[in-house]
Amino acid sequence: MRNLGVTVLSLVLTTAVIGNAYYQKKQFYPSVVYITKSNPSMAVIYIQAFILVMLTGKLMGKVFFGELRAAELEHLMERAWYAMTETCLAFTVFRDDFSPKFVALFTVLLFLKSFHWLAEDRVDYMERSPIIIRLFHLRVISLLAMLGALDLHLVGHAYLSTVTKGASVQLVFGFEYAILLTIIVNIAIKYVLHTIDLNSETPWENKAVFLLYTELIMGFFKVVLYIMFLAIMVRISMLPLFAFRPMYYTMRAFKKAFNDVILSRRAIRNMNTLYPDATPEELAAADNVCIICREEMLTASKKLPCNHIFHTSCLRSWFQRQQTCPTCRLNILRSPTTPPQQPAARPAPQPAPDQRPPPPFNFAWPPPPPPPAAAANQQGENVNLNQAAGGSGSSGNTNANQPPGAAGGMPGPGMPFFCPPFPFMPFNIPPPIPPRDFSGMSDEEVRRMESSAREGVEARLLCLRNIQMMLDASVLMMRQYSESAAIAAAQNSSMANQSTPPTTEQTGPDLGPSSSGSATEQQKTSPSVSTNKDTPSTSGSASSSQPSTSKVAEERRVTSDEASSSSSSINTSVARPSQAFTPEQEEARRRRLQKFASD
Amino acid sequence: MAGSALRRLMAEYKQLTLNPPDGIIAGPINEENFFEWEALITGPDGTCFEGGVFPAKLIFPPDYPLSPPKMQFTCEMFHPNIYSDGRVCISILHAPGDDPMGYESSAERWSPVQSVEKILLSVVSMLAEPNDESGANVDAAKMWREDREEFNRIAQRIVRKTLGIPT
Repeated sequence: MRNLGVTVLSLVLTTAVIGNAYYQKKQFYPSVVYITKSNPSMAVIYIQAFILVMLTGKLMGKVFFGELRAAELEHLMERAWYAMTETCLAFTVFRDDFSPKFVALFTVLLFLKSFHWLAEDRVDYMERSPIIIRLFHLRVISLLAMLGALDLHLVGHAYLSTVTKGASVQLVFGFEYAILLTIIVNIAIKYVLHTIDLNSETPWENKAVFLLYTELIMGFFKVVLYIMFLAIMVRISMLPLFAFRPMYYTMRAFKKAFNDVILSRRAIRNMNTLYPDATPEELAAADNVCIICREEMLTASKKLPCNHIFHTSCLRSWFQRQQTCPTCRLNILRSPTTPPQQPAARPAPQPAPDQRPPPPFNFAWPPPPPPPAAAANQQGENVNLNQAAGGSGSSGNTNANQPPGAAGGMPGPGMPFFCPPFPFMPFNIPPPIPPRDFSGMSDEEVRRMESSAREGVEARLLCLRNIQMMLDASVLMMRQYSESAAIAAAQNSSMANQSTPPTTEQTGPDLGPSSSGSATEQQKTSPSVSTNKDTPSTSGSASSSQPSTSKVAEERRVTSDEASSSSSSINTSVARPSQAFTPEQEEARRRRLQKFASD
Repeated sequence: MAGSALRRLMAEYKQLTLNPPDGIIAGPINEENFFEWEALITGPDGTCFEGGVFPAKLIFPPDYPLSPPKMQFTCEMFHPNIYSDGRVCISILHAPGDDPMGYESSAERWSPVQSVEKILLSVVSMLAEPNDESGANVDAAKMWREDREEFNRIAQRIVRKTLGIPT
């Protein structure tokens, strides 16, 4: 109502001024001269022009935006006040050029700026509006095209005038329109992204990432523009005070966009490396609704160490803000009890073995093996155990010592070692006893392995390599043992049958020391000697048991054979021992079997 | 597809209309704008706010549910945890990181798991048991601690006012 009153009043005043001039001068040119010479008349004309601008703005607003929302209006007012004060500051800088034309140019700038802000708000609102009609698209597209063309034209005009007439106030306008042009490009990209998302049936998960990068790149352009502008203005000895506030905000926004991109990248990386995808069974077991977006999880969901499952995209946007589980607030990055590298370091032993089912193989850790006394004790215990279990029970006993995974191992590709143990085996290398837990591992080592940086990966690789070395060493020892056992058995049976071919004795000792030597070498190179968990028990049972009856001995052979074949299933390179079987050994074995049969 | 915030708000609205919790009504003021809700909360039985029906406004941020909404009572309120302009100060409405009163542990803060329903239920329990350590309204907190009768009298007056009964 008040606006209407002001409009009508100004219209009346203008007609009065013009009418008065015309009444006094009777002719067109003298009237115009009269009006321009009279200050009160000019004031009325300026007010009328201002009101016309406002009316045009209202009309364009109606055409391009329809009814403005309350939030948009509030936003517009707030920004308009800042822009006004900055324009006044700019007037002080350019007070020499101050003229009605100059004021008009600034008014046009302000006018266009407000349309840019409104367009930005409108496009941002797209994502939140339940219904987007075709008129909306038409309005936004035409508005963006018009503003873009105007900006481009004005930038070109400012550039031309600067080039032809030297640095003037047009520099400021050129720069301002260039900034507005980046805003228009930014809005257009956002609009395209939102439109694609609106038209797709399923939520577009990567939209947030695209928006982030758009923000970052556009922020970068704006910062570069502002810096260039500042540099040029300072060179022509003018401090553009009016540009400081928007410059500060632009830089802050750029910094924020930059941080967001870094955090988002980190979140994505963590998500891809640290957390496993949820399996359909796990999804079915949970109630299958992502608690972040309250929608069903059909695809692309991740499981956190605390067993809570979320959409990958929901989790990513949350991790950008906070690295905690949304449900239980477990700090995902800083929880020592649940190693986040679990999937990555699965083959490596866990620092906290009691949390998990016993790993298939229990390895000693790089720090030194237990003192020999303890080892001897343990070995003694193992022997006692085996002896207590008795002859026929020893097979089961060995199986019990063996982990389930190893017991079901595939039989070795070669022929099994079918040799009786010899009472006085030359066992110069006592098999090291692996410690029960990994308390021997220093905190620093654990930490090094937990980090996801390159160093951590290297530490884990080193650990795995150590394990492989240990395995090789134990396999070698196993081979050495079985070979010497085979030779001894061959000698034994040859003594019984008086028909030992001499070749066995030649090949046997040849192979034995060389393999034992390599085993010791292996142990020397890596102080972290260890072996299969069940090796001590089997070797203990084999080496210590006196072959009271050959029946028991035969069973022992079977168990040790099982153990060795299972350990060979870890490393297929163990197929080699089969080559050690010469025809003579085969012969000896056959004879022995015959002997048992006759017994 | 519409934005994720909008879809989640629609889902919550549906949930609240299908299974409304006792003594709480909430929904968008205007179905074209799902980011501004109005809620009606009845004062919990057996407290000084018993029988009152308190209207409040909920404003959701564009990145809901990653950021918490803001809640403000639109009627006069006198309560230790409600600012004199009606804004509600409870930990569930504060994003982890900002801690206006410096007393909350992050376990009570906003997380995407929370919902409008949980917020409103927390507000009901806040009405029943004010936390006088976080003084959003210091006068109310002081009165709650030292002069409970006067506090109850003011609360009763507000209850009657919300119901349109002359005091």
